[in-house]
Amino acid sequence: MSRKLRYAFIYIFLTIGAIVSVFPFFWMIVGSTNTSVDVIKGKLTFGSQLTTNFKNLWDNYNLGGILLNSIKISIFVVVFSLIVSSMAGYGFELYSSKARNRIYSMILVTLMIPFAALMVPLFRLMNFLNLIDSHWGVILPMIPSVFLVFFFRQNFSQYPKEIIMAARVDGANELRIFFSIVLPSMRSTYAAGAIYAFMTSWNAYLWPLVIIQGERNKTIVLMISNLASGYTPDFGVVMMAVVIATLPMLIVFFSLQRYFVQGVLGSVKQ
Amino acid sequence: MKRSVIAILSMLILIGSSLMLFAETKTITIWAWDPNFNIAIMQEAAARYQKINPDVEFEIVSMAKADVEQKLNTILASGVKTALPEIVLIEDYNAQKYLQSYPGSFADLTKQFSYSEFAPYKVKLMTLNNKVYGVPFDSGVTGWFYRRDYLEQAGFNSSDLENITWDRFIEIGKVVKAKTGKYMIAADPYDGGLMRTLLQSAGTWYFDSNGKPYIANNPVLKEAVKLYKEIRDSGIAKEVSGWNEWVGSFNNGDSASVITGVWIVGSIKAEKSQSGKWAVTSVPRMNIKGAVNASNLGGSSWYVLQNSKNKDVAIDFLKKIYARDSSFYQKILVDRGAVGTWLPAQNGSAYKAKDPFFGNQSIYTLLSGWMKKIPSVDYGMFTYEADAAIMAVMPDVYNGKISIDEALKRAEEQFINSTK
Repeated sequence: MSRKLRYAFIYIFLTIGAIVSVFPFFWMIVGSTNTSVDVIKGKLTFGSQLTTNFKNLWDNYNLGGILLNSIKISIFVVVFSLIVSSMAGYGFELYSSKARNRIYSMILVTLMIPFAALMVPLFRLMNFLNLIDSHWGVILPMIPSVFLVFFFRQNFSQYPKEIIMAARVDGANELRIFFSIVLPSMRSTYAAGAIYAFMTSWNAYLWPLVIIQGERNKTIVLMISNLASGYTPDFGVVMMAVVIATLPMLIVFFSLQRYFVQGVLGSVKQ
Repeated sequence: MKRSVIAILSMLILIGSSLMLFAETKTITIWAWDPNFNIAIMQEAAARYQKINPDVEFEIVSMAKADVEQKLNTILASGVKTALPEIVLIEDYNAQKYLQSYPGSFADLTKQFSYSEFAPYKVKLMTLNNKVYGVPFDSGVTGWFYRRDYLEQAGFNSSDLENITWDRFIEIGKVVKAKTGKYMIAADPYDGGLMRTLLQSAGTWYFDSNGKPYIANNPVLKEAVKLYKEIRDSGIAKEVSGWNEWVGSFNNGDSASVITGVWIVGSIKAEKSQSGKWAVTSVPRMNIKGAVNASNLGGSSWYVLQNSKNKDVAIDFLKKIYARDSSFYQKILVDRGAVGTWLPAQNGSAYKAKDPFFGNQSIYTLLSGWMKKIPSVDYGMFTYEADAAIMAVMPDVYNGKISIDEALKRAEEQFINSTK
């Protein structure tokens, strides 16, 4: 009896949790099928405005171009960020020197500096490099990710060092060891890192906002922020845009989900 | 390995710089928010200017208001001049903050425009040390928009509602509630919009003429806080929180009226089934000497960046459209519901048109009449901070824990702390 009761509580709790986390998605999808007035009124049933909302969005905004911008930025950030951070994490884990831990903790401390404090100097730097209003101006500062360095170092620490030793004995150089031996066996770690990097770059708001000046280079997040502003925003269209912005993230997440869970749990099998 | 990283990075920088487009000459870049309002209006203005001066290109960038502010702050603080737009839209309440925080960043337009042609309250807010820095744009002149059918059902016709006081407003509200079951207004008890409307209608603000906080011993503010409490206690207001619930309350027909800026007309008319049932009259007056039946809520204006590339063309553009083209103002009123503050335009046909949604009232003739009566105030630098400080003490005022005097004293202390 008490066991049943316990289960009942657990299920009630989980059900509430599920509703709370799923409801915003439900609201978003329902909203994208309704008119703005209905969204404001709080209508919770599907409407007939799906195609109208999509058409309004498509006709009034350069949706294709904006999506391409976002995808381009995210892909570059994911690829470069994974290469740079994983190499850094690998280096910190594998090669020892006196200064190693001091430098490592200094890098970790930078996590505590709020981005707003870095923004003005970074903006000046980008101006110096002539990268204002360009996608590279968005991508470059997002490549070095302290969290990913930390994440990769943690995962490399579980990697059996014997394999690396053996490779050295066989005469492989360090780059070869990294790319041909370590990297392929850490696929799930990379997948988890990729999801993280994709999410941060896809959702990036403050930096792209500051650095991108023209309509031409805008990302989807900036477009939504713009849509939702104003005295009388069309919430049906806003919801439609949010649905579209969520889709790529869902696709990336679900296609890598299998690895993600493994990667977070620690990945090397001995 | 280190070398390869450096190689990759320098390659990236090279690619990046080659991707940069060379800025074209004579492009006017404009930053503003609200695609259906400011942006659309600027596009209309740009198209008109291109007929006069075909060599000019426009890049009108649409982003959220907070985004415009964020970008402007970053760029002005960084001192980078290459990325400056020519023209930027700034909300009136924040104008002094920018003018005073970044001196020399905005072009002095005093000699460029004849400011007597604009609504006086609008010119005052963009004046610093006797220099005028902006081009007045849309007005937030307030009106009392009400449901004619509900009010008539409660026994009031339009002449009963003209030029009344807030006390009378509450009395009428009680009758409406009793006879129709509808709330007189919908109000967010923690929103400062009505507070600002009340203050301006009496020609005061949260600050005195030296920019010092004027909260604790401000008789108008005291009266306004009292009104907030009375409205809440009388039960005539439907309590809402946030914009969407508020708009929903009159779209749904739950509340009988709205007292706010003219920009709400679009949201009222969005509910087409209520066509013909609405009307507008002047806002109630405070029981204070010098208070009038007219006020303002919100509005924004155009500013030219002093260090932008094509500053002179931008000024010429604003002059030829925003201070000369009357038919432009008619068009933006009809298409976008935008009430400009360039007074000569208000004799135009669009301002005189009768609106069937409002029972064939010429609502814009009425509103532009009230616009001329709006008392001028200096908004100072910290309107929203003062707003927040007062709203923070409202819960204690509502439940009677502290007197209004005590509450305003606390709010002033809190305000001084928050802006130190």
